[in-house]
Amino acid sequence: MISVMQTIPATLASHAPAAAGAAHAPTAPGDSSAIWLILIPLLPLVSSILCGIYRAWGVTSKLPGYTTVLALAVSFIVTLTGYLSFGGAGVQIVHGFQWLNISWGEAHGQSLTANFSLYIDSLTWLWMLFVTGLATLIALYSTEYMSEDQKNGGYARYFSFFSLFVFAMSCLVMGDNLLLLYLGWEGVGLCSYLLIGYYYTKPAAVAAAKKAFIVNRIGDLGLALGMMLAFVEFGSLEFSEIFARVAEIQATVAAGGHVSWQIEAIPLLLMVGAFGKSAQLPLYVWLPDAMEGPTPVSALIHAATMVTAGVYLIARFLPLFALNPTSLAIVAWVGGLTALLAATIGMSQFDIKRVMAYSTVSQLGYMFLGLGVLTATGAAYHVFTHAFFKATLFLSCGAVMHGFAGQLDLRKLSGLRKLKGWGIVTLAMLVGCLCLAGFPFTSGFFSKDMILAEAFVTQGPGYQALGILALITAGMTAYYSFRVFFRVFCGPVEFHPSDDHHGDSEEEHEAHEDAEGHHGFHPHAPGWAINLVLMVLIVGSLAAAIPYFVDKENHGWVGGLVHDSTAGHLVLPTVAHGAEDAAHGAEAVAHGEGFWSDPHKWMYYVSGTIGFIGIGLAWLIHMTRRTEAATAPIADGLKNAMRPVSTWCERKWYVDEFYDIIFRYPLKILSHLFYLLDQLLVDGLVNFAGAVPRMLGRSLRPSQNGLLQSYAVGMGGGVAVILFIVWILL
Amino acid sequence: MTLLVLILIPLAGALVVGLSPERQAKWIALAWTSLALGAAIFAAFMFDWANPGVIQFSPKNHASGDLTPLLPLVPSLGISISLGADSVSMFLILLTTLLGPLCVLGSFTAITERVKTFYVWLLILQAAMTGVFAARDLILFYVCFEFTLAPMFVLISLYGSTNRRYAAIKFFLYTFTGSMIALAGLVYVAWVYSTIHNGAWSFDIADMQHAALTMSRTEQTWVLFALLAGFAVKVPLFPVHTWLPLAHTEAPTAGSVLLAGVLLKLGTYGIFRFVLPFVPLAVAEYASLIAIISIIGILYAGFICWVQTDVKKLVAYSSVSHLGFCVLGLVALNMVGGAGSVMYMINHGLSTGALFFCIGMMYERYHTRSMNEVGGLARRMPVWSFFMVFFTMASVGLPGLNGFVGEFMALLGTFQSGARTIGAGGTHGPLGPWFAAVAATGMIVAAMYLLYMVGRVVFGPLKEPDHHHAHETLPADLNAREITVLAPLAVLCVVLGVYPSPMLRALEAPVATTIAAAREASSRMAPVPMDSGHAEVALIHDGEASR
Repeated sequence: MISVMQTIPATLASHAPAAAGAAHAPTAPGDSSAIWLILIPLLPLVSSILCGIYRAWGVTSKLPGYTTVLALAVSFIVTLTGYLSFGGAGVQIVHGFQWLNISWGEAHGQSLTANFSLYIDSLTWLWMLFVTGLATLIALYSTEYMSEDQKNGGYARYFSFFSLFVFAMSCLVMGDNLLLLYLGWEGVGLCSYLLIGYYYTKPAAVAAAKKAFIVNRIGDLGLALGMMLAFVEFGSLEFSEIFARVAEIQATVAAGGHVSWQIEAIPLLLMVGAFGKSAQLPLYVWLPDAMEGPTPVSALIHAATMVTAGVYLIARFLPLFALNPTSLAIVAWVGGLTALLAATIGMSQFDIKRVMAYSTVSQLGYMFLGLGVLTATGAAYHVFTHAFFKATLFLSCGAVMHGFAGQLDLRKLSGLRKLKGWGIVTLAMLVGCLCLAGFPFTSGFFSKDMILAEAFVTQGPGYQALGILALITAGMTAYYSFRVFFRVFCGPVEFHPSDDHHGDSEEEHEAHEDAEGHHGFHPHAPGWAINLVLMVLIVGSLAAAIPYFVDKENHGWVGGLVHDSTAGHLVLPTVAHGAEDAAHGAEAVAHGEGFWSDPHKWMYYVSGTIGFIGIGLAWLIHMTRRTEAATAPIADGLKNAMRPVSTWCERKWYVDEFYDIIFRYPLKILSHLFYLLDQLLVDGLVNFAGAVPRMLGRSLRPSQNGLLQSYAVGMGGGVAVILFIVWILL
Repeated sequence: MTLLVLILIPLAGALVVGLSPERQAKWIALAWTSLALGAAIFAAFMFDWANPGVIQFSPKNHASGDLTPLLPLVPSLGISISLGADSVSMFLILLTTLLGPLCVLGSFTAITERVKTFYVWLLILQAAMTGVFAARDLILFYVCFEFTLAPMFVLISLYGSTNRRYAAIKFFLYTFTGSMIALAGLVYVAWVYSTIHNGAWSFDIADMQHAALTMSRTEQTWVLFALLAGFAVKVPLFPVHTWLPLAHTEAPTAGSVLLAGVLLKLGTYGIFRFVLPFVPLAVAEYASLIAIISIIGILYAGFICWVQTDVKKLVAYSSVSHLGFCVLGLVALNMVGGAGSVMYMINHGLSTGALFFCIGMMYERYHTRSMNEVGGLARRMPVWSFFMVFFTMASVGLPGLNGFVGEFMALLGTFQSGARTIGAGGTHGPLGPWFAAVAATGMIVAAMYLLYMVGRVVFGPLKEPDHHHAHETLPADLNAREITVLAPLAVLCVVLGVYPSPMLRALEAPVATTIAAAREASSRMAPVPMDSGHAEVALIHDGEASR
């Protein structure tokens, strides 16, 4: 493994608008050596292999769990050290080893190069910090959560996949070329598949896993084609080359030039991949089903990290997206509509984990909206805060599920805060819900406001309407998150254990039922690992607001990171701003004089008020006059009053059924037809052709029964004769 | 000489097995196939990897640079035994010799009757397959090519399942008919050679290539279709594939493995070795047609896989789908596509071969291949399930495993080929982004049917046939012997998936030589320059003149 290390100091002109025609590449080469950064992806990989070996050896202790926690913790420390050492130093390219290398000439673009090398800039640091950090915490949580599966070997298997996921995720985020990004992209998809299907004896889990993989593959198709088009257009898959070429195009555009439609098509293809991985319309359907996996997996993969890969992809290639305003508009609208649709479904679900799943889809929609309205900072910051508070929420749900034998129905749980040992879980849920609802001065409040405000000021097709939709969605979000909190954690104490336990072992199930009886069920309060992790996450969720106040010039710490990355320099092919950096132009408009002309200011009040209204409604509907877990008179009344709409929401707008009818069933029928055709027609013709010489042979020379000869000589000889005649004629 | 040894070892092994007692047959067969593998690895070490495009292991006339035949058989007709290998042949020989011992080892408990005959034919098959890849003259190539049919016929008809006679006869007749037509085409090329050289004959591949290039476009077209008739059946391409699912389903495990692993590659190898360099004008003209047929095959067979209940048939149809990518890459007529296609040949041999092994191991325990009768085996056979999922993922084209490299490169090559802008990374060629876009949907279809298979056989609630009894000798999960069969394949899948670079570098030279003429012809067909038509006419004219 030959390793060379280059550092590319950022020569970013920070706020100075690019002079007309003078393209500045966001990066330029320099030197340094930090091969140890390769440990960030390597340690999780090693841990995954070790856990695989433990599985083969039949280790039943908690060794796999602790190995994983250790490896991930060290990986996080390395990330942190790396960030502190190189965080402001521009791009680091760490060369690993050759992966795909082939060339067909000496000229530029006549070779395909994709290596296992890392491309680390500030955007990468942002992602890797929360990925490795949260992964460590959630792995620790899992050591307790998954302990029931120690006996049957599931424990080691779980941690093997878990570590493999972190490895794949770091390849995705840190890869220095599109192909390595694609490896990570499909790799996280694989881990997601394996972990959703962790309880593999449950048909629902198997189906959900399959669905996740296939729907993601549809998105991957877009990504793959986008990657190929990028290669054909830019002559390379490596980021440094691609961004150098993009900078050239930006220069032409700034000088009034045109963007070719091929270049414009690249973001359109890439976004399909992003929509698949980040569960946006029309490909979001896999994420709610993915909740069949163990809850820590939902927290890490399906809420905090993997699903933000699409946001990462678009943020990484934002300069390319900016060159095609249509693509930005599509991203914004898809994001906004997904946020709204998922929120309507989230309001009407009874499974609290599903509520959280739809809220994830909805929040991801916000992030895409943010990208579409060109506030990569807002989107990335929302990714960051969301990672913390959504992990908190999921892990709280997980604690409930763990303690109440898999019960997740909010009609069967009530008043948990009054139970002994559930204080931290209650607090975590409260903090998570506050952040999710955008309660003033929580982290979610600041990050969401950035996106909302920007939606109102950015110029684009119907962006104002989109902003209003997003505000309505914010109200719904506040409502459904506190609906969960008020019903499950407040009110009279009541709980019923679930019928189906989340464990996959039948004996366990029986054992539980024996212990439960019908009246003698005792929930077991979470132990130290779960409580510790929840406490850290409570602090983390709240503290995620702090970066907003750091580095105010760049709209917070995250803003600074985004600004120093490839997403920091955008050129829009619009006339309005001329050669000026349009993103900054938009902001300049936004920060005009007076209160109402700065949406960042009034948005605080508007969104804060809407959040209060949502929470108030939840209080009114789900707390007042509620005497037992299942009955909330106002809620039921409302539901009946809004009959068709509420049913459609509850049934998830029948999107799954719709897809079945227009895609799955027709394809299945087509496949059967193909198979029939294959047997009857395609093969039938062959058999007919085969029978002809046999019949000829029988009729002409009854004495001869040599099947092989007659057939072969007949056919082959005949064709030889034809060819010979043709040759003579020529 | 080295290559001759590689062919003779399995032949000698067949002789020894034939003379040995029934009970020792499997061990002797294992020893000889291992010896062949050792020899092949030795040959790989002797191979000059600095010049992978040069035909090696061939007694070389240093003065003229011509390759002299090893054994002139009928000098008056130019028929001889001449052997040689470039890197493409070398990789395929390595694949063949690797699968040899694994097939023997994998058949230890599956074959219990007429054991000796089985291994004799298996060894003969290996010799024939090695011969195809090592041949440097047409007659030897064709003899070996056809001779693979006989052992396979015996393996299927004696050791297959219920419908084995029908499957074996169909397999034989179908592929034999196809290759007869291909022979007609090849003989025609030899005739052309003889016409040019005043009645002198040569069947040397290099000589024949020179002769073939002098043919007019019309002649080339005829020869193209004649050759395709043989090779397309073997691959198999879309409308002529129906022998394959049947043969696969009925064949014993080792037969299926060799059929999918090596025999199908004879078709793509034939296209690579003969079609592309011999008839470049016709290839350039009909490449898009061949590509369309391949793409239809990818999707058509993929969808058929999705509704199979017989797991072996599913994997068999998946070969039709997968090999479509392989042919697609070849007719992209550029480096990425060509090299990707050769990678695909190797990778498909490893991962699909391994899948057939896995299915065979399941069949030995449950005596059924129906997904309605067995399911959820992860609970009963965790080790087997690991391998099954692993090879499925390799087959589905997961990056980091081998299947991805070939598939991605074949698709990228297709995409590049004739891209609208011959910009930075585009190349001249007959295909284009739309071909790649449609073919790439095959990735989704592959995920659909392979995960459907894994979801039923490996995952879900455990389901075993009612009449199921534990196997007398085999444990519930895999034993050490079976793991030994699968482990090397799994390791190779990872190695080729993570570090294919050396292999790709070694493919640059032979692929470049092979596609050069066709690519040239194709770029001249591009409608950009006005005088392209003249150029073609001139070329044809030259061809006629030199005759």
